[in-house]
Amino acid sequence: MQHLAGQNAPSPFVVVPHFAIGAAFWLVVSLLIVLFPDSLSQHFFNPKLLAMTHLLVLGFITMVIFGALYQLIPVIMEEKLHSEKLAISSLFTLTSGTIFLAYSFWNSSFNNLLFFSAFLLLLSVILFAVNVFKTGLKSVKKNTEKKFIVTSLLWLLFTVLIGVLMTLNLVFPFLKISHLEVLKLHAHVGIIGWILQLIIGVGSKLLPMFMVSHNLNEKKLKIAYYLINIGLIVGTISVFLEIGFFVNLSVIVVIIGVLSFLSFIYEAFSKRIKKKLDIGMKQTLIAFLTFVISLFLVLLIISKISIFESISIQLNISYIVFLLVGFISSLIMGQTYKTLPFIIWLKVYRNKLGKGKIPLPIELYSRNIATAQLLMFILGFFILMIGIVITENGCIRLGASFLLLSILLYNYNIYKIILHKSTIYGK
Amino acid sequence: MNSEEATVFELLKGVIDPELMVNIIDLGLIYDVKIIKSKIDIDLTLTSAGCPMGEMIIEDVKQLVESNYPSFEVNVNLVWSPVWTLACLTENGKTALGQG
Repeated sequence: MQHLAGQNAPSPFVVVPHFAIGAAFWLVVSLLIVLFPDSLSQHFFNPKLLAMTHLLVLGFITMVIFGALYQLIPVIMEEKLHSEKLAISSLFTLTSGTIFLAYSFWNSSFNNLLFFSAFLLLLSVILFAVNVFKTGLKSVKKNTEKKFIVTSLLWLLFTVLIGVLMTLNLVFPFLKISHLEVLKLHAHVGIIGWILQLIIGVGSKLLPMFMVSHNLNEKKLKIAYYLINIGLIVGTISVFLEIGFFVNLSVIVVIIGVLSFLSFIYEAFSKRIKKKLDIGMKQTLIAFLTFVISLFLVLLIISKISIFESISIQLNISYIVFLLVGFISSLIMGQTYKTLPFIIWLKVYRNKLGKGKIPLPIELYSRNIATAQLLMFILGFFILMIGIVITENGCIRLGASFLLLSILLYNYNIYKIILHKSTIYGK
Repeated sequence: MNSEEATVFELLKGVIDPELMVNIIDLGLIYDVKIIKSKIDIDLTLTSAGCPMGEMIIEDVKQLVESNYPSFEVNVNLVWSPVWTLACLTENGKTALGQG
């Protein structure tokens, strides 16, 4: 028996703080880029960029993903969330761990605070994973989405463990392979194994639902699942054994898997019944177009062609910014408009259905502000990327300023949704 | 479907899917309407499991029928078989969604 979306939903007090805190972290990151544009025009292993990246990946991306998953897992697994207390504990440890970690990186202070932050983050992830696994154990439902979610969690745990190892290695060097290579592995296992795989698991369910697309070829998802995971495993082993050829081969395997997922999304897009895209889906579309560009960039990076080798720093930073800001952050911003209004709407109006005319979830935020946010984002991202490519700090700062404006507008809408009060018109 | 059941069926054109902005009859979401004595049973599906606006649609159906048949007991049954597909759309539904 399948249930309605709201039937197993957890308390909004578990879900909503993740969106609010996440949006605030995103605002801080964009402000830091405006204030310190030079961190994007030098080698990626610099303290400020490390701090900003972790604020973005943990503070915004992982934070919102955790919150959204607490709402979506009961829909996908058709079971109530195992524990709301664990979820709140995970929220506290993730927030404090991210702040302490970013502070330590920013000041290059590799001391007890760094270890403590790594411990908090590991604890947060373990609490989250236990919650999801326990919910999954109760669920008899077997589907590809569930497989992606559970596997992505294993990669998240692995990502944090590598992070802890690297933290230890900074103070007591013991790793025999280059710290930079382990950093690349840490980043990719996190971005591909955890974030992207989760996006595939959740997106393959939600995006066809939002576009009302049916009869999709789910084999494409299975192909994506196996290729991405085989690629990641081969890549991880090859990094530790320092076999460059297999590292590159694993990248190609992962890219083919990702293309299979993109083909599924394209199929959903072209078969959609709902032709007109709302603002959330427009930003989602832009996110996916940016993702295709980032795949192209990674091919240039591994091609080792001398012209691209000579601009390797710009190419690497461009690739990471395309992936983290252009694709993942943009996707999260777009999908916030598809999920958060509904969560608040359910909280405010669930017991008031039929008691008068009530607003729709889409009416909980300003569509004009959301449109301005999207335009600012596109403009800001475009200028930022030019700045990174030509290594011009003024240009990076200008682009980041537009991004900051965009994220301010995003925050305005987030808080407008969260603070929405019941408005019922006469029957 | 007898004439009274057909009237209820027509009445349900007044319920609009808030995501697609098309009425639920032209979307083909109503599978059956049965009136037995003073009880009205309506079988309704959604375009996808987990459809966020499901509760609102179900409540709208219940409210609309109850207000037109105050002396009847109205039951709205959410059904998932057969699964809703594009083939469930009426001609009007296809036109409204640009599928025609």
